Amino acid sequence: MTDQDEQDDHRSRQFPVREDMVFQHKVWRFERVGWYVLVLLVVLTLLGLFSRGPLSDRELYSSDGSLGVEYQAFHRNGSANTLTLRLKGQPNAVLEVELGGDWLEGFEVQALQPPPMRSAGAGQGMTLWVQADKQGEASLYLSLLGEGFGTYHSRITTPGGAMVSFKQFIFP
Amino acid sequence: MDSVLRAAALYAALMVLFKIAGRRSLAEITTFDFVLLMIIGEATQQALLGDDFSMTNALMVIVTLIAIDVGFSLLKLRSQWVSRLIDGGPTIIVEDGRILRGRMRHARLIEADIMEAARSSQGIETLEQIKFAIIERNGKISVIAKEPS
Repeated sequence: MTDQDEQDDHRSRQFPVREDMVFQHKVWRFERVGWYVLVLLVVLTLLGLFSRGPLSDRELYSSDGSLGVEYQAFHRNGSANTLTLRLKGQPNAVLEVELGGDWLEGFEVQALQPPPMRSAGAGQGMTLWVQADKQGEASLYLSLLGEGFGTYHSRITTPGGAMVSFKQFIFP
Repeated sequence: MDSVLRAAALYAALMVLFKIAGRRSLAEITTFDFVLLMIIGEATQQALLGDDFSMTNALMVIVTLIAIDVGFSLLKLRSQWVSRLIDGGPTIIVEDGRILRGRMRHARLIEADIMEAARSSQGIETLEQIKFAIIERNGKISVIAKEPS
């Protein structure tokens, strides 16, 4: 396209309709930039910005390795995700773990497997007792339904001094 | 409270999304566009109502949507600027039988689209017979034929 054509395209006609080509070019630029933003959002969603993906899958272990947690950093309001706790202790012992922090205000625990032997309240959170196997290992699977909006903190501790703390964000 | 917020947030989000999609995209409805539109409706429905299936919630969502819509049309009457922002303006893409290529490209149209509109509305056969082709604010292409000399 020559320069003259380009100028002609930008000139606003008054007949048969009143045009505003400066504004129209802004609209077209908005459409183009908007399309890039949409593609970016699709890519970020595939990567897990809105839960379930490399950006959202997290794994944490306490410094002594006796306590581990797999969780999603990002949740969506109304959708359920799993949180897995891995405990290590003496063979066949009953292991105690405290789930503290304000996370119970933002999540509803839909399922807890296997069922703990005993449970009790502990401040804002709860304490669970689970039976370890012959290797001294126990796993707890929690299905969490996001109900709140914003950031919620979790602090998981064992009497042995192992501790992991993390944040989870719930999208509306 | 959240039924109003939900409806307002989705109204705003859909408005921006359809502005990005541009005026042509859903104006000429093909069967596929129709199916796409229904799927968009399905996806929106859950977010609009949440897990509250009460009549109050449904009515409040509808009331909010209509209130916003009427509000905007009242605002459009008062302000030229708002009106242009929401509805956009018409754009000429054919002038005296000559296609304005740059504009056509920006509007994501091809010559076949213009000729299709020309045939169906005016029975025009060639480009030279077109005096003006204009993309209207609603995305339709209107064609004005040259007067026979």
